Amino acid sequence: MPMRRSPKLRPNGWDALVILAVVLLAAACAVTVWGRGGGTGELTAVVSIDGREVERVALGSAAGERVYAGNGYTLTVDFEPGGVTVREADCPTQDCVHTGTITRSGQSIVCLPGRIIIQLTGGPADASAPDVVIG
Amino acid sequence: MKLTTKQLTLCAMLAAMALALSYLENVFPLSLAIPIPGIKLGLANIVTVFALYALGPVQALLILLARCILGAVFAGNMNALLFSLLGGVTAMLVMIILSRLRWLSVYGVSVGGAAAHNCGQVAAAILTLGNTAPLYYLPVLLGVSLFTGALTGLVAACLFRALAHTDLMKG
Amino acid sequence: MRRLTVLLLALAMLAGLTACGMEPADPNTAQESIQVIAMDTVMTFSIYGEKSTHAVYAAEDEVRRLEGLLSRTDPESDVSRLNAAPAGEAVTVSEDTRSLLEMARFYAMMTEGAFDCTLAPVSSAWGFTEESFRVPSRTELDGLLQHVGWEKFQLPEGQNLTASHDEGVEIDLGGIAKGYVTDVIAGILEENHVPRATISLGGNVLVWGDRPDGTPWRVGIQDPARADAADGYAGFLSLTDAFAVTSGSYQRYFEEDGQRYHHIIDPATGCPADSGLTSVTVVEKRERDANSNILGSGTECDALSTALFVMGEEKALEFWRTERESRQMSFDLVLVTEDGRVVVTDGIADVFTPDETSGYAYETVS
Repeated sequence: MPMRRSPKLRPNGWDALVILAVVLLAAACAVTVWGRGGGTGELTAVVSIDGREVERVALGSAAGERVYAGNGYTLTVDFEPGGVTVREADCPTQDCVHTGTITRSGQSIVCLPGRIIIQLTGGPADASAPDVVIG
Repeated sequence: MKLTTKQLTLCAMLAAMALALSYLENVFPLSLAIPIPGIKLGLANIVTVFALYALGPVQALLILLARCILGAVFAGNMNALLFSLLGGVTAMLVMIILSRLRWLSVYGVSVGGAAAHNCGQVAAAILTLGNTAPLYYLPVLLGVSLFTGALTGLVAACLFRALAHTDLMKG
Repeated sequence: MRRLTVLLLALAMLAGLTACGMEPADPNTAQESIQVIAMDTVMTFSIYGEKSTHAVYAAEDEVRRLEGLLSRTDPESDVSRLNAAPAGEAVTVSEDTRSLLEMARFYAMMTEGAFDCTLAPVSSAWGFTEESFRVPSRTELDGLLQHVGWEKFQLPEGQNLTASHDEGVEIDLGGIAKGYVTDVIAGILEENHVPRATISLGGNVLVWGDRPDGTPWRVGIQDPARADAADGYAGFLSLTDAFAVTSGSYQRYFEEDGQRYHHIIDPATGCPADSGLTSVTVVEKRERDANSNILGSGTECDALSTALFVMGEEKALEFWRTERESRQMSFDLVLVTEDGRVVVTDGIADVFTPDETSGYAYETVS
């Protein structure tokens, strides 16, 4: 018996259809997930550990540095006006540190080993919000 | 179902290869570019694509399970099991369906599989974390899956071409 | 289709390579941010770069030190001691206080008295010093205005660290103190090779360098008509290395018998300036010329924003044109008028963005 089913080995127009479907899915997803972030109110970091929300930190004023522990791992997090950064973590992957600073509503930092999520909500979603206000 | 010795050997070999590919991925972790822990390129899907066509869905699924479980055991990380299982099984199901559409080439099948793989992984992240935050990265991941899917498809196509004239496939 | 696949593959590999070569952290994005409550304002210092932590705390120390010199409530401050001293007696003050007094006198002369640091007795009569608001009588104001005027305090030549004043004169450097703070902080940022920073003192802002993404800082000008709204803007300025100061009648005011009285007093009348403006924003670029002299000054922006508010639209624009021609001062303006217009001078017209939702009519003048 040759192959159970011999596949086509050259890409054709139908494959383009699959690609189109994935692109459309990505676009639809982007619109719903990225678009909704907006809203009014202050940019707030929501910290959850193990699926439970443990703290909400308003980023309008600098809240400074805080330490969270989850599942045996410790994260040192910097809260600044307009952004959150995991400065230090003792987890093996360091994904959360590599994420850098998150600044926009909808973005998040995830520490899988520690089961800690820091997610931004509220705040101006668009780039038209000023960095500084005088008056 | 009956497995011939040859088929069984082939399954074991493919599972070992899939495992090796999973390890290879850890050398170039995708999470450096897209910071969701547990997210993988899905190179091991090459094996799934191949097994699906060469051996059939049941065998492909067995190989997948062996790869996921052994991978998690070797890594000593049961978190990773959920990720690879959900990603792998979702990809598998989508590819089984797509491979039945005869007019699709191996490229289309593997792109669909890669996209499904990422959806499954995001689902795993949402489950583990109890939070929908990882959804934020799905659009990016779907974009990435176009490339990884094309890559997997290319490798699989090369494999089929190379093996078409050997007797490896013959029962 | 095959070519396309090859192209896609090449792209995928390129993407992979870029991911591997990514820098873990750019020192220029390291950020330190603190808030300081001083000089009756909440100040926010956001400083980037390797020495951001050092710079932030150095800035805070300077603010505390200057507050200690210029405070009107601390009896030990230079300003309090100077005001408490008998008329004509030379009081020894610090270098900063003396140079602020010199600048106060200079800007009073430049603006023909529209800016005046001896208005304190009048301001107090309206209750703006102690927050116990009332409307003083004309006679009372006329009496107090006798002691107002930049020529009523002396800065003896040759005695560089002294000052004295006439009978009944009270000095308040609050009108330029915050501007001076931004000048001092600019020095700290320069000294520490800070790549980028935003320094906000409420009505006084200093933006340093550009944003981490390489674009100019976006500075929002508070809409005087929507003073309570956090996101109500009269417009936006895209700025790098610049001072921007706003004086507005919405910033501090009280109401009595349906009449609104704000805190920007016209030295000519002793009453809140009734100039048809609701806010004046003065912008100056902070840079160094060929001889490495500093151009642009937060102190100047601070003094001018008050003075030009008092002058009103017509005289303010005339002042701007005169200064532009004489090249003595190089500043630009955003004026918000009571009748719903926003007037932008052409030097910053290309970096000014209107807020479409504000309902203002926008004009550029040259």
